[in-house]
Amino acid sequence: MEQPKPAEKVVCRGLWKVFGPQPNRTIDLLKEGQTKAEVLAETGHVVAVRDVSFSVMEGETFVVMGLSGSGKSTLLRCLPRLIDPTRGQVLIDGQDIAHLDAKALREVRRHKMSMVFQHFGLFPHRKLIDNVAYGLEVQGVGKKERHARAREVLELVNLGGWENHYPGQLSGGMQQRVGLARALAVDPEILLFDEPFSALDPLIRREMQDELISLQNQMHKTLIFITHDFAEAIKLGDRIAIMKGGSLVQVGTPEEVVMNPADEYVREFTQDAPRGKVLTARAIMQPAAPGFTGQGEPAPVTTPLEQLLALVIDREEAVPVVDEQGELVGVIHRRDVLAALQSNGQR
Amino acid sequence: MSNMNPAAEPSTSRETSPGGGKARRTLYILIAAAILFIVIAIAARNAIGPFPEAWNIHLDDAIDEAQSWVIGNRNTHPVFRYFFDPISDFIDSLLRGVEGALIAAPWPAVILAIFFIAFKLSGRKVAYLATVGLLLMGVFDLWDESMQTIALMAVSVVIALAFGIPIGILSARSDRLQAILRPFLDAMQTLPAFVYLIPVVLLFGIARVPSVVATVIYALPPAIRLTDMGIRQVPADITEAADAYGSTEWQKLIKVQLPLAMPAILVGVNQTIMMALGIVVIAALIGAPGLGLVVYEALRRQHVGQALQAGIAIVLIAIVFDRISVGFSRESEASLRNLKPLTGEEMAVRRRNNVIYWVGAAVTLGLVWVAHRTLVDMSDFPAMLQFSIAKPVDASVRWMRDNLYQIGDLPIGTGPFSDFITIWLLNPLRGLLTDWLPWPVVIAGFALLAYLTSGWKLALFTAASLFFLGLMGLWEMSMDTLSQVLVAVFISVLIGIPLGVLAARSDRFEALLRPVLDFLQTIPTFVYLVPVIMLFNVGRVPGIMASVLYAIPPVIRLTNLGIRRVETEIIEAAEAFGSTPRQMLFKVQLPLAMPSIMMGVNQTMMMVLAMVVIAGLVGGGALGLEAVTGLAKSQVGRGMQAGLAIVILAIILDRITQGWAKQQRVG
Repeated sequence: MEQPKPAEKVVCRGLWKVFGPQPNRTIDLLKEGQTKAEVLAETGHVVAVRDVSFSVMEGETFVVMGLSGSGKSTLLRCLPRLIDPTRGQVLIDGQDIAHLDAKALREVRRHKMSMVFQHFGLFPHRKLIDNVAYGLEVQGVGKKERHARAREVLELVNLGGWENHYPGQLSGGMQQRVGLARALAVDPEILLFDEPFSALDPLIRREMQDELISLQNQMHKTLIFITHDFAEAIKLGDRIAIMKGGSLVQVGTPEEVVMNPADEYVREFTQDAPRGKVLTARAIMQPAAPGFTGQGEPAPVTTPLEQLLALVIDREEAVPVVDEQGELVGVIHRRDVLAALQSNGQR
Repeated sequence: MSNMNPAAEPSTSRETSPGGGKARRTLYILIAAAILFIVIAIAARNAIGPFPEAWNIHLDDAIDEAQSWVIGNRNTHPVFRYFFDPISDFIDSLLRGVEGALIAAPWPAVILAIFFIAFKLSGRKVAYLATVGLLLMGVFDLWDESMQTIALMAVSVVIALAFGIPIGILSARSDRLQAILRPFLDAMQTLPAFVYLIPVVLLFGIARVPSVVATVIYALPPAIRLTDMGIRQVPADITEAADAYGSTEWQKLIKVQLPLAMPAILVGVNQTIMMALGIVVIAALIGAPGLGLVVYEALRRQHVGQALQAGIAIVLIAIVFDRISVGFSRESEASLRNLKPLTGEEMAVRRRNNVIYWVGAAVTLGLVWVAHRTLVDMSDFPAMLQFSIAKPVDASVRWMRDNLYQIGDLPIGTGPFSDFITIWLLNPLRGLLTDWLPWPVVIAGFALLAYLTSGWKLALFTAASLFFLGLMGLWEMSMDTLSQVLVAVFISVLIGIPLGVLAARSDRFEALLRPVLDFLQTIPTFVYLVPVIMLFNVGRVPGIMASVLYAIPPVIRLTNLGIRRVETEIIEAAEAFGSTPRQMLFKVQLPLAMPSIMMGVNQTMMMVLAMVVIAGLVGGGALGLEAVTGLAKSQVGRGMQAGLAIVILAIILDRITQGWAKQQRVG
């Protein structure tokens, strides 16, 4: 049965961003084979984003992971044109935003997408309720209506009753909830996250990640999420893109990335990945021998490795693996599970 | 242990040899230059003589001609009819309106109005201070003059802000505009207030209007700078958030940037007010009415008591308006920092209280006005409450002159002190610069100094502009002024750095010193002349004493700051190696504080220059007197030439000391 193909919500095609007085010439130099370092040394241009292409499906959580200086924040800012890309296309619902005039661009920013910032970017002189209502306020929504909506969203992020406080009186975690509420208040189709949790303590960070996952399970928005934390990327992302030196090195599901890292650079990150959580039965199952009927409870293909471990731990026989329709698609032996847990991505 | 020292020493000196070598080279250059100077000077002293009079380019005549053209065409030429005259008329009517209203209003109403404003903006203490201050102006029979000064200042400040804040906003939005404005603003802040008066006289004549124009121009930089700075200081992620949510530029400005820049803008307002007050008082020189004129006239006639009364009134206005505006800007900053969560009801209560306060204030003022119209006339401050301290002050000044000039037969007193400075500092230095060294050597000397601190560009500029001083026929006068500036700076540094060091070492001393310095920096230049005249009579020395008083705060402040900013870890390291406090000071703290101290010296030098010029009024003579005479006798060419010479000196001294300060930072 063919599922309806989800629409491409955000598409980047051949996106470049070069900082400096003559960015276009610099791109040509780079295409002729000069390296970034050579270009920087010779012309003083900084290449932040280098020929990046990807597409994000509607309702998908797409995570861009990279270390600092990899260009991921610049890439994110090219989407609402907070930074104008030097070359390439950004399509939002098929519309190329490069050609929008200031007014049309404002409309996109007001209704299509909103953004959550690393250092929260809250307005210190406004009460929480007016921070959250800001997007509606600049759209011209009346005070009563926008405050009602802001209250609703503050409830949603568990900050009901804090309306009249100011950002400075809140902890970092609470401030970022406000940042999230502000983004949600305008009911955007796309949410952009610029390392939103990296300024938070580890415990709060995990709590916020869980909360974001449960919110996303209710709202099914398109999320584009920037992080430098690989664990965060595989925890949140439906698909993740690894960025290095302005280019995308690999794009795929967490499982694909962990199982088949594109190069040494990616492999380094996958070393510490919680394989038990990321890998599923699908990735490690073996073809079933013809005539295999299997005994005991079958495992769905989406079962994570750590649960499979519990299944195989005192069972000598293979565990049957079934797909969504209950059809047998493969088997898993104890040694497959142990090998996957032990290996460093090499098979 | 002791025989380790010889071994250690060579190695240290080898380690530091690159830096030491550079310093030594500079030293050699200096020594060589000095010897060269002396040789040339001795050889050329008689051969060269004074700056040749034949080279005089008679710039003053050209300017006078321009002025007579202006006077001849003022009523006919379109530039005046359609540009300067409308500006002039607008300012004049605005000023007359405000001034007339303040003078005609019943005096208790003015006091109450300022009380209400001060109370709301800056609290009870400032409100009481304002009340007492204003009453005292009435008591001294200076009510009308005070109102004139306040009106002049208020109108100038409003106009300056009306231009300054929008320009600041534009400059915050455009790096290019900021880059264009910066050199102008820098130059504007380098020049003494005084020189602003001269060119406006050419275009606007004398009295009120040119005073306002000069004040607006002079007071503009802080309004522009601080608005620009306040907006640029809004964190990038906050403005980015405003953009990301689709704000228009206007929404971003009004809803986000301006509210967050408000504390900085209000600091700018405070500085604008203080600068405006400073020049409004000096504007007496071109006939602006008010307290400044009283001081000026009284000083000219040697009525020290009268000058003191007016001086006190000026200081009171300065303090009151400083406190009110500082209170306002602190309030705004504090309200941004400690925002309190208030519910809707609490907000409503607060709003209602505010309304009640202002309605109450308006009703009170209305009642006073009704009483004024029906019961008693209160347009003039009642004569029975008036009291003059002029006579007793004059008497005590006479006493001081007779008795403090020289105490007994001892070489103690203001007379010997004054003589000492004149004989041992001023005269030798002036002699050196004018008689002893031929002028080409002086030019070469300053050019060399400029070269050593900032490079050949400044050296060229210095040489050319000093030569230009000669071409204007102002060589001797400029050197006279320069000698006074250098002596005053020398004394300021001599006193200021030790005080700064003490302040840095003792919190208590710092706390004692701070209000004194605040006070010194609040007082407009002009007022400093009064007390020194009381002690020293007229001459160059009182001018220098006034300059030292006026200009000493920056060098004290920045010495203190520089030392206190040395990192704790470095101090701890020095302590860990067993430095004595003295070693700590000379080997660690002072060298590290040097850039800051040099900045203080630079600021002090600029302030000294501003003051020495004004001191021309009390016998300092030289360029200051020349400029004042030019203004007073409406010989604009003469005044403008002198003003130009002052500007040239200011720029040269500023650039050389800044270059020096920069070197300290790099080294």
